[in-house]
Amino acid sequence: MARWGMVIDLERCTGCAACEVACKSENNIPTVPPDEAEMGRGISWMRVLAHVERDFPDTEMDSYPRPCMHCDNPPCTKVCPVRATYINDEGIVGQIYPRCIGCRYCGNACPYTVKYFNWYGPEWSETERLHLNPDVSDRPKGVVEKCTFCHHRLQKAREDVRVEGRELREEDYQPACVEVCGSRAMVFGDLDNPNHRVAELKEDPRSMRLLEDLGTQPKVYYLRRSR
Amino acid sequence: MKSTRREFLWTLGGAATAYGVWQVPDLVGPAPAGDPGWSPLAETRHNSICLICPSRCGISGRVVDERLVRITGNPLHPLSRGGVCPRGIAGLQTLYHPERVTSPLKRVGRRGEGEWQPVSLEDAIGEIAARLQTLRTEARPEALALLAGHCTGTMEDLWRQFLRSFGSPNYVADDYNDGTDSIMEVVHGIARRPSYDLEQAEYVLSFGAPLYEAWWSPLQAFVSLSGNDGDSDRRPHLVQIDTRFSRTAANAHEWLGIRPCTYAVLALGIAYVLIRDELFDTDYVSQHVTGFEDFVDDTGQPTEGYRSLVLRNYRTEEVSAQTGVPVERITSLARSLAASDAPVCVCGSDVMLSRTGLLSGLAVHSLNVILGRVNRPGGVLVGTDPPLQPLTEPVIDSIGRAGINQPPVGDAPPFGSGDQATRFAAAVAEADTSRVDALLVYYANPLASSARRDLWALAFEKIPFVVCFSPFLDETTRQADLVLPDLLPYERWQDAPAPTSYPYPVWGLSTPMVPPHNGGIHTGDAVLALAGHVGGVVAQSLPYESFEALLKMRARGLFAVAKGMVLGDEFARRHHRDMEQRGWWLREHNEFEPFWEDLVQSGGWTDLRYDYTDPQQLSNTPSGRIDLLPAALRGGHGTSESERRLYVDVVPAEGAATEEFPLRLLPYRISTLSSGTLALQRWLVEQPGIFPDVPWVPWVEVSPTTARNLGFHDGSTVWVVSRRDRYKARLKEFPGTAPENVCAPYGLRHPDGGLANPLALLDGSDDPLIGLPSWSSTYVRLERA
Amino acid sequence: MKSEVAAKLATMDADEQALLRPLVETSRSFYVTAGVLCVVVLWGLFSYYTQVRYGLGRTGLNRPGYWGIYIICFVFFIGISHAGTLISAILRVSQAEWRRSITRSAELITVLVIGFGAIQPIVDLGRPDRVLNVIFHAQPQSPLLWDVVSIGLYFTSCTIYLYVPMLPDLAIIRDSGIKAPRLYKFLAAGYHDTQYNHMILERVIRVLAIVVIPIAVSVHTIIGWIFAMTLRPMWHSTIFGPYFVVGAIYSGIAASLIAMVILRKVYRLENYFRDVHFDYLGQMLLVLACLWFYFTFAEHLTVFYGAEPAEMRTFWSKVTGPYALPFWTMTLGCFIVPMALMSRSATRTPNGTLIAGIAVVIGMWLERYNIVVPTSVNPIWEIETIGRYLPSWVELSIMAGTCAGFVLLYMISTKFVPIVSIWEIKEGRAMVSEVAERVARYSGIGSPIARRVG
Ligand SMILES: Nc1nc2c(c(=O)[nH]1)N[C@H]1C(S)=C(S)[C@@H](COP(=O)(O)OP(=O)(O)OC[C@H]3O[C@@H](n4cnc5c(=O)[nH]c(N)nc54)[C@H](O)[C@@H]3O)O[C@H]1N2
Ligand SMILES: Nc1nc2c(c(=O)[nH]1)N[C@H]1C(S)=C(S)[C@@H](COP(=O)(O)OP(=O)(O)OC[C@H]3O[C@@H](n4cnc5c(=O)[nH]c(N)nc54)[C@H](O)[C@@H]3O)O[C@H]1N2
Ligand code: SF4
Ligand code: SF4
Ligand code: SF4
Ligand code: SF4
Ligand code: SF4
Ligand SMILES: [Mo]
Repeated sequence: MARWGMVIDLERCTGCAACEVACKSENNIPTVPPDEAEMGRGISWMRVLAHVERDFPDTEMDSYPRPCMHCDNPPCTKVCPVRATYINDEGIVGQIYPRCIGCRYCGNACPYTVKYFNWYGPEWSETERLHLNPDVSDRPKGVVEKCTFCHHRLQKAREDVRVEGRELREEDYQPACVEVCGSRAMVFGDLDNPNHRVAELKEDPRSMRLLEDLGTQPKVYYLRRSR
Repeated sequence: MKSTRREFLWTLGGAATAYGVWQVPDLVGPAPAGDPGWSPLAETRHNSICLICPSRCGISGRVVDERLVRITGNPLHPLSRGGVCPRGIAGLQTLYHPERVTSPLKRVGRRGEGEWQPVSLEDAIGEIAARLQTLRTEARPEALALLAGHCTGTMEDLWRQFLRSFGSPNYVADDYNDGTDSIMEVVHGIARRPSYDLEQAEYVLSFGAPLYEAWWSPLQAFVSLSGNDGDSDRRPHLVQIDTRFSRTAANAHEWLGIRPCTYAVLALGIAYVLIRDELFDTDYVSQHVTGFEDFVDDTGQPTEGYRSLVLRNYRTEEVSAQTGVPVERITSLARSLAASDAPVCVCGSDVMLSRTGLLSGLAVHSLNVILGRVNRPGGVLVGTDPPLQPLTEPVIDSIGRAGINQPPVGDAPPFGSGDQATRFAAAVAEADTSRVDALLVYYANPLASSARRDLWALAFEKIPFVVCFSPFLDETTRQADLVLPDLLPYERWQDAPAPTSYPYPVWGLSTPMVPPHNGGIHTGDAVLALAGHVGGVVAQSLPYESFEALLKMRARGLFAVAKGMVLGDEFARRHHRDMEQRGWWLREHNEFEPFWEDLVQSGGWTDLRYDYTDPQQLSNTPSGRIDLLPAALRGGHGTSESERRLYVDVVPAEGAATEEFPLRLLPYRISTLSSGTLALQRWLVEQPGIFPDVPWVPWVEVSPTTARNLGFHDGSTVWVVSRRDRYKARLKEFPGTAPENVCAPYGLRHPDGGLANPLALLDGSDDPLIGLPSWSSTYVRLERA
Repeated sequence: MKSEVAAKLATMDADEQALLRPLVETSRSFYVTAGVLCVVVLWGLFSYYTQVRYGLGRTGLNRPGYWGIYIICFVFFIGISHAGTLISAILRVSQAEWRRSITRSAELITVLVIGFGAIQPIVDLGRPDRVLNVIFHAQPQSPLLWDVVSIGLYFTSCTIYLYVPMLPDLAIIRDSGIKAPRLYKFLAAGYHDTQYNHMILERVIRVLAIVVIPIAVSVHTIIGWIFAMTLRPMWHSTIFGPYFVVGAIYSGIAASLIAMVILRKVYRLENYFRDVHFDYLGQMLLVLACLWFYFTFAEHLTVFYGAEPAEMRTFWSKVTGPYALPFWTMTLGCFIVPMALMSRSATRTPNGTLIAGIAVVIGMWLERYNIVVPTSVNPIWEIETIGRYLPSWVELSIMAGTCAGFVLLYMISTKFVPIVSIWEIKEGRAMVSEVAERVARYSGIGSPIARRVG
């Protein structure tokens, strides 16, 4: 069984935010009006967070692209009263929108604050609706959503390789954010498959995970900047 | 069994699949994204190019049921290699923007009132043709002008041919011009912007070039500087010198904060160390360079050469004092540069957009020269254009000839083309009677984005007939008499060369991925139709049935040359380059049609071989050598500003901070946004940068100390006030801003569409040599709003 | 009051007259107050309607400030509900004689307020239409399910615990015929105060009193655990269970005190709610103030001492940051005011306890605010943005509506049940000598008190 995961090289990441917007486009994430955005209600399954230190001219900054960590020991799934968020046996933590009651308990339980809530229903104008990705459903108002590791792409890839009668290869299943990164800062694959690059990269001496001491066992690894 | 249950759960919607929501009735929720009526959707992929910024990256569109639903990168494109930037991805939001113009519009009521009447395409073009014919019958073809914004490749050639055969010299460019072509012109005799071989460079020293944010091609920088070329161990060492802590600085290996306008001093300070310690490329200099040693000029005057000037004026301590860079840092930069096998210095527009822009740019470039980095792998190269078939020779009659021999409206600077648009606007605005009767505006929005909106507003009042070719009713289009809605790049044929910063010729091809928008017309086709209506020599000069046919004709030039390749993958690229380097080239297509089809499929053509031995790409000066002390810059130019001595007076004498205006304004471009068009991309404006709390609002950055001293706090709303103008913004504390500066990102608007353009605050001074505005000599104050 | 009712009332004894009068006599100001409260309730309902119609966006909630007023009110109201049952159960079990007149009013608070507390999380749901999923897709590992179960149990047991000891009183009303004969016939469920019945009743009450205590303790423990089961700074704490229980009892007593002072005033119950009651309850308040302080201090001291960066961000945001005002107001209300007033017998008067009670209730609401909001808006990961939370008018209206609804129901209830248990008062009077005997027994050497008390 695969264990999907990601390695993000902070040395390469330029913080360009292409991954952020690619995710929005792939997963039909609407914008919210200005006053809503001001309140912190924008949705961004992938978000490039910046950490700035020290004054000019000694300033330093790191950019952390932050999807859902797809924790192997996810604190979010444990608290859900209806199993609307759960981890499947390939380690992908999913959301079941039609079942979620919108209590946002998972949102408070996630230490990485990657759960987003639909305060209102999604708003697309007539014309904007045209560019929605037909593989991904709109989320109704009142439910929680987050990065799915573009799971619909895995389903599609599975179908394709079944038709072709072959095994799934690393390049068959790549999330939208990974795909657009011009600096190739992100690598995605099966952490347990020695043929996938992530398996080796996660062992890199620069490798770390966020809030590792919480024991959540994230499947998103970061390679520190060496500076 | 187990897996079926799991699949079932996923199907329930956890996987975010569309099926889920349809199968589970949802009481309050909206309909699913896709049209529930479809069964298997017709899905295709198209390779194309992004036309949002000068980078022209390769993109690939996923089209479902004739709707463009995703833009990703085209891995075949040699410059971008499958990468795209956020603006490129959000291009969808321009295509499906709710406010696109849906038919040609004619103004009723007064200008700018917003009263429009839809007219047919025929009528619209007929009306323009009639206006233009009058100009020709009155023998005043020069009274026609075109303001061309994002206009490159064949669109530019087409417009130029149109104007030329019509008889107008007024092609007014309103696009990215950093003036670096003038450096190449005076030093190498080649009037072309320098290209940077970042891919093969080992050590990149960037003088304020926002490589990752704006520049010519962020993707070129991403790809080259991250070693995204298949060989991941090799990454150039990037050192960023900047006046503020930019994104590029943040992600460089080293960064160096510097006082504004002192880049040249630092460059020459580095040169000082290189010369003093004999670390420069003595062979290269002695073989290819003149002006390095003292010499006697044509008039018999003994003249100090580069070496003496630098050694006399740029002792490290003095440089350190002027730039704010510690002495050790200067020395170590010089040593690292010299120690590297393939160093290169990149001259950013920060350097050029100052009152001493050209002289500063020369100072930076001189490092590349003395290190022997021009025309060497990993250095500064001189690119070439793709060998397209030219347009037919324009037919010019006597009226036309008289017209094109008229001086263009707006004077030109001594070097380069300068800021044509502003000079044009000034000339029209300041003349008593306008020399321009008809203005065509293509892909530009000066009433919003020009630093001199005031001049443009005056100019518009004086021009009786204005036509805008634009898909949106932007500020400028709203002032037009006629609007012809252009198509967006995803609907139209267009070509564009790679940006000049890229050393290899690339012919990128944008092809229609989705059917054209209702009522829109490709401006290329509109120009051809217009030419037909105007008739006569104009029609004869543009005998093309459509813009597509014109592009296809041009591609014949690529088919004819025995080099280059239709875009191909990593392996094909490598193979091709290796073969060409060994003098081999294999024809892949024997017929033009299959070649063309491949070209359309792959998204373009390229030739990845660079001839380092071609002397024409090193220097084309009268002496045949690279001229570090070009005669053109040794003499005076009539203005006191340009009496400045090369390599000596590189710092502009400028106003200092005053009590009234205590802070220096540094406008900069954020990577996710910039000009007007991009404000149409909601995903970007909602989350424009690293600050989490500035959605949809313009902001300015000051250091926390400055904010405290001024009595502001993070999030205060302030007026940014200069002598010329002011605008409202949210104040953000940012430790990467020097305490004496205000960094002002541009390209932002207020949520109500109100402009917040820091460029409108600029003091209006420029470099008289290249005619480009000075961007960081303006002082402002912040007022509570 | 109709004259026949007056006549019937006149035939009853003094306690019955005094305690049944409110059932048959209603003042003008009662109607006015009820009218005002009705308007507030309707306004709250309307606000909820807009929230359901448009979405939770109508609140001030956001990311990461996911929980706000509703969850605060949930914890707060369920906390208040510990007033009655727990206190009355403990007092009953320990056979504290002075409890007799105060249990009913406190138990009534419990039963009414649980409902209002329990709806808060539903109001907080993004999809109230799917609330039954909690049962259809029950997840035993989710603290929310434990919570549903324990609150359900608690509500049921408290209702029974309120109802059973009320039977003799209901029978008295039925027999007197002063009000709604059929209703009381139904409510009294055929109870007749025979000796046998009375014995059964006493036994049932004793069992219920014991059963209800652990359930009550579990309820607020689990509510504490809802927070403690996450990894969030200053939620993930082992003392949350007992801390919440103590807080709950504390706010419960305070609420009971307020209710008693008001009841005493409007129904002229000076004879039943005597100074000694306020004195005793005031002492309990004092003890709980100390306990509350002990827990709060322990909680903050351990966080401060451990000095984990994420915890410290939340800590400082409370102590000196944006939540300093609620934090220090809480300290004032929960500790300083009750300590100052309740440690002196001179101020353990009805008025003194009223002030202390109000201070504690406000303080305890703020305590929940200080637990819910600062942690919710302060993500663990320092790079994430710290949020802000300001409740919207919708949330405040719903909170006002809930409070008004509770007070309204309570008021109306006092029109249907005697707010002081008539039969227990009577029994108490009858038992004076027995009690004296018992007290005499306590003073004997080697008395088996410890075993007997349970
Ligand atoms: N506020 C602000 N001012 C600026 C700048 C800025 O970033 N912000 N940048 C400065 C710089 S460097 C430059 S080069 C200039 C650029 O300024 P402009 O040349 O004015 O560029 P934009 O505003 O990007 O685009 C012009 C207009 O093109 C239209 N447009 C969009 N897509 C298409 C299309 O496919 N076809 C056609 N025909 N039109 C289209 C849009 O309506 C847009 O308003 O502005 C300068 N001034
Ligand atoms: N992200 C993005 N990239 C783009 C575009 C885009 O729309 N978006 N458009 C392209 C276009 S049209 C353009 S024009 C370019 C712009 O590309 P650039 O001009 O290279 O980028 P800017 O950030 O606009 O440059 C402004 C910088 O110059 C500094 N500066 C300002 N005034 C002065 C001065 O007087 N002297 C010196 N020495 N420095 C000064 C400021 O601090 C700031 O860092 O970007 C191109 N690339
Ligand atoms: S796309 Fe790549 S480089 Fe850009 S922010 Fe994301 S991870 Fe970083
Ligand atoms: S990152 Fe958060 S949402 Fe994702 S699996 Fe971990 S705890 Fe759950
Ligand atoms: S918000 Fe939805 S997914 Fe999250 S815990 Fe509640 S029911 Fe589960
Ligand atoms: S993996 Fe997919 S869903 Fe997750 S952040 Fe990347 S693009 Fe978004
Ligand atoms: S860098 Fe420019 S051309 Fe490339 S994707 Fe971004 S906007 Fe388009
Ligand atoms: Mo530009």
